[in-house]
Amino acid sequence: MAFALEFFLRRISQGALIVLAVAFVIFTLLRIAPGDPIRIILGPMATPSAMEETAQRLGLRDPIPVQFVRYLGDIVKGDFGNSFIRGKQGGTTGGSQDAGGSAPVDRAPVIELIAKALPYTLLLAASGFLLACLVSIPLGILAGVRNHGWPQRVALYLSSFFVSLPNVWVGIVLIYLLSARTGWLPAIGYQHIGYVIIPAIVVAVELAPVMIRSISVAVATNVQEPFYEIGQVRGLSARAMLFRHVLRNAAVPLLNSFGAQMIGMLLGGLFVVEYIFSFPGIGLLTINAVFQRDFPVIQTVAIFASTVLVFINIAVDFASTTIDRRLKF
Amino acid sequence: MAAQPLLSVENLSIFLGSGDAARKLLSNVAFKVEAKSVLGIIGESGSGKTLLSRALVNWVRPPLQVSSGTVVYQGRNLLALPEAEMACLRGREIAYIGANPTTALDPTVPVGHQIEEKLRAVEPGLSRSEARRRVIELLDAVRIPSALSRFDEYPFQFSGGMMQRAMIVDALISRPKLLVADNITQPLDVTVAAQILRLLRDLQRDFGTAIVFVSSSFGTIVEIADEVVVLDKGTVVEAQDTRRIQNAPVHPYTRELLARVPRLWHDVGGIPAVNSEPVVLSVRDVARTYEVKDRTSLFGKNRVQAVRGVSFEVRRGESLGLIGESGCGKSTLSRLLSSLEPPDRGAIEIDGVDVATLRGEALLSMRRRFQLLLQDPYNSIPSHVSIGETIAEPLRIHGLASGRKLREKVSAVMQEVGLSPDLQDSLPVGLSAGQRQRVNIARAMVLEPSVLILDETLSALDQVEQAKLLDLFDNLQRKHGITYLYISHDLAMVRRACSRIAVMYLGKIVEIGDNETIFNAPAHPYTRTLLSSVSTVEEKPFLPKDYLLEGEPPDPIHIPEGCSFRSRCPFVIDACRSIEPALVIKAGASAAACHLGMDDLPPPRICTVARGVTGLQRLENS
Repeated sequence: MAFALEFFLRRISQGALIVLAVAFVIFTLLRIAPGDPIRIILGPMATPSAMEETAQRLGLRDPIPVQFVRYLGDIVKGDFGNSFIRGKQGGTTGGSQDAGGSAPVDRAPVIELIAKALPYTLLLAASGFLLACLVSIPLGILAGVRNHGWPQRVALYLSSFFVSLPNVWVGIVLIYLLSARTGWLPAIGYQHIGYVIIPAIVVAVELAPVMIRSISVAVATNVQEPFYEIGQVRGLSARAMLFRHVLRNAAVPLLNSFGAQMIGMLLGGLFVVEYIFSFPGIGLLTINAVFQRDFPVIQTVAIFASTVLVFINIAVDFASTTIDRRLKF
Repeated sequence: MAAQPLLSVENLSIFLGSGDAARKLLSNVAFKVEAKSVLGIIGESGSGKTLLSRALVNWVRPPLQVSSGTVVYQGRNLLALPEAEMACLRGREIAYIGANPTTALDPTVPVGHQIEEKLRAVEPGLSRSEARRRVIELLDAVRIPSALSRFDEYPFQFSGGMMQRAMIVDALISRPKLLVADNITQPLDVTVAAQILRLLRDLQRDFGTAIVFVSSSFGTIVEIADEVVVLDKGTVVEAQDTRRIQNAPVHPYTRELLARVPRLWHDVGGIPAVNSEPVVLSVRDVARTYEVKDRTSLFGKNRVQAVRGVSFEVRRGESLGLIGESGCGKSTLSRLLSSLEPPDRGAIEIDGVDVATLRGEALLSMRRRFQLLLQDPYNSIPSHVSIGETIAEPLRIHGLASGRKLREKVSAVMQEVGLSPDLQDSLPVGLSAGQRQRVNIARAMVLEPSVLILDETLSALDQVEQAKLLDLFDNLQRKHGITYLYISHDLAMVRRACSRIAVMYLGKIVEIGDNETIFNAPAHPYTRTLLSSVSTVEEKPFLPKDYLLEGEPPDPIHIPEGCSFRSRCPFVIDACRSIEPALVIKAGASAAACHLGMDDLPPPRICTVARGVTGLQRLENS
């Protein structure tokens, strides 16, 4: 108990620092990178004085640290700011308004935009991950146990094949085959759960090779540990040893590769896939926000993503120490 | 009705690989095991004894192949049994315990739970609470302290000896008829090994289990076995009654094996002399404590007191032995002495200079005179660097030679330690453990050190190779006047190699004296316990029944008040509980930290004096 309390106190405070650092870097980079949000908000016809006035009003002319502190202050109050571009009714309004019409109150709060997009992203991520698990867990375990038989070869060839398919290409081919050509499944946008199938397959194809590989390696390593064979000599069945002990031990490296590698892949993959399929999740929101220099959205998504990463890693480490008590974090 | 043996092995041959490249590892092995008896199988490393013991439980996996023969258990040939039937016997009627208990269980599940799991697998009807009760009962019976709480502890929290007890519980919990014990005492400290042996004998009597006890130590085998089978290069060369094999061995190989068992009291040969040269190394009240995380309290730390105030002196050209069981602080002390880390308190002086005060150049040149040789001959040499380069590296670091001169020096030192200089440009791949250890020695010797710390340097080698290296150390000492500090748990080696010996227990020296006194008239009960636990084939002055202790050393986090040995000492008195004894000179020539006088301890059973030159004579002669 004491251990868990200390662990979380320490790790959450460290995590908060990391998130803060990420937020600052993103915030600064956005503001020094070329591309003026005012130009996009007001459109190409805006006068320099109108642009300057809008920039002043949005606080974009203050020194970056001042802006950052103000931003943090708002976040503490639960206000992540309003989109520069998107209206409350949804839809982009950039480029069609005069200086007076861009009052921030008419813009959608970032937090609402995210709350609206998040369920879609979670749905897509969960189905893609589940699909990847369905293929890679049985195959990975089989390949790990029969390290020299056909399962190992199948696993190797399949993951080599998957890993060499770019997800953009897979997406387009699947849209062509399953949607445009045959009309079996819907592909673009989102109206009902069926819209998730093709994008989920694309996400799964990206995740599966890494998962198959790490599962089979982790299982194979533990099958070679003396306790596996000795367990059978002690009178336990190979099945019991595999499911109760080998998988338990293999879970530790798997959790780590999940926390360190796969969550990153999943996030990156989702952005691309959502964009290809016009899937209305966080990824699409962010990519559009980047094109439109919609600073508040980009910042919030970045902070949000790093928070998720930090917390997943804390959870992963805690799970690892719970499984294997020798580990210390 | 003629009694049928429980197990009979006939004509068993096992090959490694198949076809032309196949190598015969066991050939035509045959023996019988009677019910409720103990059969000892003795053989050196490489004799095929582990393979044989695995074949007895039908645990032979490719590339190993059984080419002929049967292992008949109660009328059934195990080697031809379908896997399902074999699975019904394993762990139920036939149990197996291996040499390495620390890797035998899943490291992430508490020990007790795994034994319970096994019990419930072999007796499916058993309820969880009943299984748990039986496991705890047997854990208690093998004298695991506080078995109830130990039940929920993890394998890494068990010491090697505890773990081996747990494996014995695991094997015997299903009341098997046959137990195969493959070298189970080998990785253990002497006192723990002696305890395990005694325990196994008691349990064998209580449970009526037949045991096949495989070992490489003659001394261990004769303590437990009724009959002994001698295995040499995969063939049985002799099978006899234990008493007869000890007194009247027939086969020359058996005789050779017997002769090779190290003697500690009889026919010891010359032992090294104590000298009166100036002091090279002086250690004064050195201590080192480590802090480890305490999981049970918030931000809590536990203080592990590894070394708790050690003082001694070593003279030029002398060999001092530091002995003690695992966890006594030997290795921490060797790290302090080789200045890999500083002591928390106390001073280490070399030729009167305190090492702690040295920095930069001075520290580097001090290090040159002070070399450390470790136990593992494999991981201590880089495998991608040529042997010559490995040996030359210290010379480069210290800027002592370069170019042609460097090569000459390396070649000379290789010759000196018995390595062919032709090996200079080859990689260490394929070198034997002994040759690798010579590379290590050469790497240390090339700096012409004045003190060598040998931290279990010879422990990984077999007895023949060990003897050769001891001779080499002897020669080097005579030639260069080097001082050795042997840190070891091997009493026979220390007996042969060291002129003075210090015995460590829980981070302190409990007795220090010359070789003769320590082995024949030690004043500390712990020293006597160590000596009584050695497995030898000779008569011992100290017997396990007088000294053998139960339990293991307290953990160095919670060291008891008063004498640290009192929790295991058979002669404890009131003073021991509160007053920590200091090292004082006793009747012999040793200093011991004990409240008791020599007369309070049982007298030695036999009185022996090493033949050959004693220390004094040797000094006079030289």
